Amino acid sequence: MESKTVIDNTSRKGRKVYLEQSLKEVGVRLFQEPWPLGAGALALTITNLFMFIYARALGVFPQMAMWGSWLYNLIGLKTESPFIPYPVKPPYLDMHSLLDIGIIFGALEASLLAREFKIRREDGQGYLFGALGGILMGLGTVLMPPCNVGGFWVATMAFSLSGPLAAIGLLLGAYVGGKILQGHIHRALLKVDFTQALEGEAVPPRSVSLQPQNGILVFILIVILAIVYHRLGMLKNAGLFLFGVLFGVIIQRSRLCFVAAFREILVSRDGKVMKWVLASMAVGALGFALLKGQGYQPQHMVFPAGWHNIVGGFIFGIGMVLAGGCGLGILVRSGEGYTRSWVACLTAMLTSGAWVHLYGQKVGQGWLYGKPVYLPEALGWGGALIFVYGFLLLFYLFILWVEAGKYEKA
Amino acid sequence: MKKLKATKIGNNHYQVDLRGWMCPYPKYAIEILLEKLPSASCMDLLVDCPAATKDVPEVIKSRCCNVQEVIPISDGEWRIRVNK
Repeated sequence: MESKTVIDNTSRKGRKVYLEQSLKEVGVRLFQEPWPLGAGALALTITNLFMFIYARALGVFPQMAMWGSWLYNLIGLKTESPFIPYPVKPPYLDMHSLLDIGIIFGALEASLLAREFKIRREDGQGYLFGALGGILMGLGTVLMPPCNVGGFWVATMAFSLSGPLAAIGLLLGAYVGGKILQGHIHRALLKVDFTQALEGEAVPPRSVSLQPQNGILVFILIVILAIVYHRLGMLKNAGLFLFGVLFGVIIQRSRLCFVAAFREILVSRDGKVMKWVLASMAVGALGFALLKGQGYQPQHMVFPAGWHNIVGGFIFGIGMVLAGGCGLGILVRSGEGYTRSWVACLTAMLTSGAWVHLYGQKVGQGWLYGKPVYLPEALGWGGALIFVYGFLLLFYLFILWVEAGKYEKA
Repeated sequence: MKKLKATKIGNNHYQVDLRGWMCPYPKYAIEILLEKLPSASCMDLLVDCPAATKDVPEVIKSRCCNVQEVIPISDGEWRIRVNK
């Protein structure tokens, strides 16, 4: 961005103008213009490592499942939360839930500051897709487990065998979901005929609104909430809430979408987003190796491994595309005003929250699940590093091979 | 299901309103719309999904058409003007 005003560098005024312009440029780049995809991917992986050092790595669905179980208990239907480390408690007292709530607040704040917030309504079919997507994700999260970001992105970096297995299911599921959406819009476009178009008025640009000011108010509210939790002695709740806000801002500003990363590989033969996701994982895996290798939370984000990763990933993959976002995505989009995401959040939490009632045991228990496989235990650190980086390289080569098909066709 | 239609807003100038269609619908729609749009025409595509402001112009450029402008028209709404 070039400065338009000529700066008089011979006086104090010139210094002031330079400072003002520089700050304005930073503000515009951070809060108004979208961030480059790569900046978002790397910011996400670094923030995730910082949060792992602080308390835990990123994962959003188990706590949403707990909200579902909590809601059932509120109306008198006694059930337990499906994920063992997430017992039923009011979300506002649960530090993991505060992470999710922070993501919604962060996305709301960032979208308001950039004048991108809008209550986006849908028709009946849109809400049906949202509800169905949420149900499929709710089922997928308990089978996989847990979600796209936690079960694939973090799990792979955390050296859990389940991560690469989940990727197979997610890729295929996202393809099926993408084809359904493609068919939906193609049917809606069937009768578009430019030669028969009726005359009408162009939609004019409207004047600016108070959204940035409201964004500042949300920021103040975020700070107040963090201070309140801190004062009440719930430091981790405050900390994870603020980390959530950061994740919400990063995803909203960079438009980084894990659903698009999987969906577009096979639907559009376009692996641009997934390549950045893989690059972020290459950076993040090194951080996890350095921390876990020194004995820091070695079993963190290591999930049961087995056929259920692929089947659960497939179901989750279809659901996340229909809902218009994975767990992280629907939280961010809820903050941006997408009503389809609100519906998806509700059906996802109600489906996954009923899992113990339906299956009789918790996630990871019983006949359905394999044992957690922590790669450094199974292969040693050398083998684990080769496995994870080999997987990233293979996935990258697979994307190139799929993309190359586009040019073969052309 | 919502049906989409084109509106004529000037000489060889059309408008298609995709507001309410979240991503990736606009990205998938533009491929069909570019095929249907008559040559030497201009089309305004209205979208309300932030990611569409990046995805849609990429598809337009890959189809050898010209993105004239991408401008916000309201909070969370944009107009993408394309020449064929």
